[in-house]
Amino acid sequence: MDPELEQLFVKQLKENQNIIHKICRLYTSGEDAHKDLFQEITIQLWKAFPKFRGDSKFSTWAYRVALNTAITLYRKSTRSVQTSSFDTTNHFIRQEEYNYEEEEQIKLLYNAVYQLNDIEKALIFMYLEDKDYQEISETLGISEVNARVKMNRIKTKLKKILNP
Amino acid sequence: MEELDLLKRDWNKGNSFEQVSEKDIYRMSHKKSSSIVKWLLAISIIEFAFWMLLTILLNDEKYEVKLQHYGLDQMMFWVNTINYAVLVSFIFFFYRNYRTISTTDSTHQLMKNILKTRKTVQYYIWYNLSIVFINVILTMVVTLYHNSAISSMLLQATNEGHRTFFLFKYTCMWILIVVLIIVLFWLFYKLLYGILLKKLFANYKELKKIDL
Repeated sequence: MDPELEQLFVKQLKENQNIIHKICRLYTSGEDAHKDLFQEITIQLWKAFPKFRGDSKFSTWAYRVALNTAITLYRKSTRSVQTSSFDTTNHFIRQEEYNYEEEEQIKLLYNAVYQLNDIEKALIFMYLEDKDYQEISETLGISEVNARVKMNRIKTKLKKILNP
Repeated sequence: MEELDLLKRDWNKGNSFEQVSEKDIYRMSHKKSSSIVKWLLAISIIEFAFWMLLTILLNDEKYEVKLQHYGLDQMMFWVNTINYAVLVSFIFFFYRNYRTISTTDSTHQLMKNILKTRKTVQYYIWYNLSIVFINVILTMVVTLYHNSAISSMLLQATNEGHRTFFLFKYTCMWILIVVLIIVLFWLFYKLLYGILLKKLFANYKELKKIDL
């Protein structure tokens, strides 16, 4: 492999690693799973890097590959962990009385997002990253209208999870 | 939605993820992938090799002599030639589909490409199973007329007046064997790919549901 290309890749990924960490945070629970997915994404990014032409930003290109890896290629099942985190969330929600500290509420929100399915997580990720619907529809390969409709449904779903 | 705004604020703070060093990124990018595409590739190559080996192993000389004896050698030559041509095209299509799998495509396209690759292998297996089926039928007919034990049994049955019943029993036995083989293969693949592609299928369905 071209060492110069590799140096460039390593440097760019190091600078943009937070976006990958954010995806790992949404798709995994626990430090080990986070690291595992981060590694698989790195492998996929490096494999695809020779084709990266730079007509989009590195971060945009990287988050696409990362999302595709998390949704499509990643093999480790997190189902068992998911169940346990679901239970704790329910436990929290039952006690909820809208007078939580902000931090506690944020934790609840992350837990709620974690309960969404892989596709819904991708939509939430892009929403949080302020991507417009054109980019969302291109990334997932669905129509813009349907992406919009789905996003609204996810918001309703999240509301339901938070206020059962 | 108020809560989402709160989440977004926290999200944009870009909170403290443990930073990965350049050295670690370098090390990671050289690790072996455990992605399903890798598994799909490995399993497919094993499948191609398995069926190819079977074809080669079954093609022993004794068999050839026997075919010559039955006067089927001319036909078998063409069957084999076509068989190898089909095999080579399958490998070509499989490789081409595998090459088009790209993580930079849209999620929907990527899933489609992966499923297409698997379909190619699936067709290859069905093709092989049908060849097995045809072979069994041929063997059945050839044995009936050329195997001395079976043909004397047929003769005896004819003399005793239940030739049709004998042929019926004989055919049933062969069909049972073929069906058993196919069901076994089907179960095996269902299990193998079911486990491997469970998540992909679920997400593919979800994405299609959105786009209905």
